Amino acid sequence: MRKVIERALRQAGLELTEVLQASNGEEALQALRDDGGKPHPLALILSDINMPIMDGLQFLEQRRDEKLAVGVPVVMITTEGSEPLVLRAISAGAQGYICKPFTAEQVKARVLPLLRVA
Amino acid sequence: MLATEDSTPQNEIVNRLDSAVSEVFEMMLERSCDPLDGDVSIVDGRIMARIQFTGAITGECILYASQATAEVTAEALLGAVSQPCDPMVDDAIGELCNMIAGGWKNKLEHPQASCLISVPAVTREGLVGLEGKFGTKFSRTYSFQGNVFGILLAF
Repeated sequence: MRKVIERALRQAGLELTEVLQASNGEEALQALRDDGGKPHPLALILSDINMPIMDGLQFLEQRRDEKLAVGVPVVMITTEGSEPLVLRAISAGAQGYICKPFTAEQVKARVLPLLRVA
Repeated sequence: MLATEDSTPQNEIVNRLDSAVSEVFEMMLERSCDPLDGDVSIVDGRIMARIQFTGAITGECILYASQATAEVTAEALLGAVSQPCDPMVDDAIGELCNMIAGGWKNKLEHPQASCLISVPAVTREGLVGLEGKFGTKFSRTYSFQGNVFGILLAF
């Protein structure tokens, strides 16, 4: 799915200079901890909910508790579109929500307003 | 509930599956995908992705295809030509199964729609060993651009 998302973002006209990838929430947390000292912070975090080891909601909550990548917008991309999950994601810090399947246009519409202008 | 010409519970399940498959292919692969009538044999050496339902529903969604169809599907989904033994093929088939199973689940009514789905597991062991595991099965075969794959819903 990471490749699919990356493709959709490029189709949306975004120039991706650096993409940190993680296959589960734990890897994502570690990537954020490692990225903390870089001069160019992340512009956006995209996360699935349904992941092995640590799911996207646990990742969001842990990221919030550890104060990692504070201020970086988070968009959840998932098949799990039920209201309780959406509410939990929002309360844990998600600013956007994209349900799979999606089109590149939908990704563009959800993501572009959240990106910080360089 | 979806409006259908024949709204028996069995047909509702199949119609929701057809709708989920069609949505995934049209939105993610920009291709139409249609169900095939009757039993269609899919060549051996198949790749299989499994999603488990737990909670309000206990069961599985299994997507199976030949390696060739899996590679074509991955290329359509990822927009890149796959390489021999490319792990992206497994990822793509797993994600396809995930989206179809999730799409089908989201079309259910409460409380069934609140069931949880697992992460996809991709194997090449075929359907052997799954027979008899669940009491009710719905098997459906689909084709996009001449590439055939099957989906089994089992509860």
